[in-house]
Amino acid sequence: MTSTDQTTDRTTEVPTDDPATAATAAAAGFAARAVGLRKVFGPTVAVDGVDLDVPTGSVLGMLGPNGSGKTTLIRMLLGLTRPTAGRAELLGHDVGAAAAAALPHVGALVEGPGFHPFLSGRANLSRVAAAEPLLGGRPLAPVVDDALERVGLAAAADRRYRGYSLGMKQRLGLAAALLLPRRLVVLDEPTNGLDPAGTRDVRRIIGELHAGGATVIVSSHLLAEVEATCTHVAVLQSGSLLAAGELRTLLDTGGSGLVVSTPDVELALRTLREVGVTAYRTEDGVAAADDGPPAPEVIALLVRAGVAVHEARRNRTNLDELFARLTEETP
Amino acid sequence: MTTAVLPAGAATAPRSAPLGRLLGAELTWVLRRPRTLVMLGVLALIPVVIAIGVTVVGGDVPGPRGGPGLIGAIAGNGLVLPVASITLALALLLPMAVTTAAADAIAGEAASGTLRGLLLAPVGRLRLVVMKAFGVLVVATLAVLVIAVAGLLAALVVVGSADGQLVTLSGTTIGLGEALGRVLIMVVWTVGQLAAVGAVALALSSLTEHPMVVLASVLGGLIVFGVLSAIPALDWLQPYLLTSGWTAGADVLRDPMVWDGLVESSLRALCYTAVGGGLATYRMLRRDA
Repeated sequence: MTSTDQTTDRTTEVPTDDPATAATAAAAGFAARAVGLRKVFGPTVAVDGVDLDVPTGSVLGMLGPNGSGKTTLIRMLLGLTRPTAGRAELLGHDVGAAAAAALPHVGALVEGPGFHPFLSGRANLSRVAAAEPLLGGRPLAPVVDDALERVGLAAAADRRYRGYSLGMKQRLGLAAALLLPRRLVVLDEPTNGLDPAGTRDVRRIIGELHAGGATVIVSSHLLAEVEATCTHVAVLQSGSLLAAGELRTLLDTGGSGLVVSTPDVELALRTLREVGVTAYRTEDGVAAADDGPPAPEVIALLVRAGVAVHEARRNRTNLDELFARLTEETP
Repeated sequence: MTTAVLPAGAATAPRSAPLGRLLGAELTWVLRRPRTLVMLGVLALIPVVIAIGVTVVGGDVPGPRGGPGLIGAIAGNGLVLPVASITLALALLLPMAVTTAAADAIAGEAASGTLRGLLLAPVGRLRLVVMKAFGVLVVATLAVLVIAVAGLLAALVVVGSADGQLVTLSGTTIGLGEALGRVLIMVVWTVGQLAAVGAVALALSSLTEHPMVVLASVLGGLIVFGVLSAIPALDWLQPYLLTSGWTAGADVLRDPMVWDGLVESSLRALCYTAVGGGLATYRMLRRDA
């Protein structure tokens, strides 16, 4: 996440990227990075200067209410949308210039499943498989059958997609994302339209991907879903990154963090994140977790950086409440 | 769920699926689409209907301007049928078939959410244009061939030909072999004209995610071209209008063959194809999906 040192223990557990793919040493530990990503659609700012690092091997839950910019951020990370400013990296490759090097290793289900209604599930998946660079030269039929089996669609494989239920469509979308072993899997609202059994399946799949060393980015507007499966969390609201960090750290922050009232929010956040403190925006300033230097040092650091500190106190808001407030209110 | 991290050999892993496989997948997709098949079926009916009409009505059918027209020339001279049918279909049905394919190729894929799947695979954006252009060209070729073959069959079965010979519009007679050669020239020339329509349609298709917009614009455009070429004051526009050369097809039925119209309209079609293809490529390299 924004602070690298809290994640180093995790990245070392995971099989490291091959040297050619990890273009820069600095990026080696991150499966995906957003650097100052911003997207403006006409008068609407969909994503507003997001910095986000997704450590290799983590499961990142991207949380936020509808319209908070989750999908736009994911689309920019995958190179489907051109950012207005900033840049994105996938598996160490710049998305603008070299997405083709990373994308074969990335599986994605973005904005719901997209398939042709007049083709069967199997035919649709065969078409997806034909376009996969890493399947080049291999027979596709067994790969497709495996994927259908894995998501529980084998029985309905030869029915037309037109007749699929919402859940079956979602399952076919998952099958396409997981057609072959991936290093990064991006799932945008994967449990949409799924019954409880389907939701459990998605959780199981995410767990298995995680155990296998893959990185997973999963977006959701449901806290429970994220809490159950994720190691890391990023909270978005109105296009801004409200909080990002290890789930455990963020949840702990609620009880014992430091709340600083200041008008210089951007500067404060930058200063705190530079020294490895998990920090997020609050109503009138920033909140800092206790994962960095002790409180007096943090305050001194802010003052030295030129941040006008109006008030500093122990945090009393629970992050749980923050999540609930974020995800239940419609902004 | 196998999620093994790929071996170190992945550094040299291919960055795109083999082009042959992509083209094969596109071909399957195009040919499995019900509307493609219905369209080909309808096109095959054109020469059959004309053949029956000509045979039932009998001999002297006056052409549109009083003289013995292309349709009139079919009576008792079946080998004219393929050429006449293609000329007739080129007015609207063939461009519609090609435009439908082009509209589905990019705008349709965007609408059904499959375009982003292709881009994420990733199919390189340039390859995607090649793949899509190939699909449209296949539909164009099949459409013209279907009319030609159905026309030949209908000519032999329903109309009957003058002893396996073709009486040209110039009044001379040529043998079956050369007549088939003339039909082949007509097919190739028509595919060239349709390629121009398809390229422009693909360019429009890359600009939108509503296939209907593409279909309406191209067919509307063809009608506008027709209107423009009917206004005498706008004669100077003729060399720039794609449709103004579309009567040249009948030239294959003259003896000796008149090449001027065919060559000129082919060059014009080539210009349209280049502009359309260039625009489609430019747009696809930048498009959000």
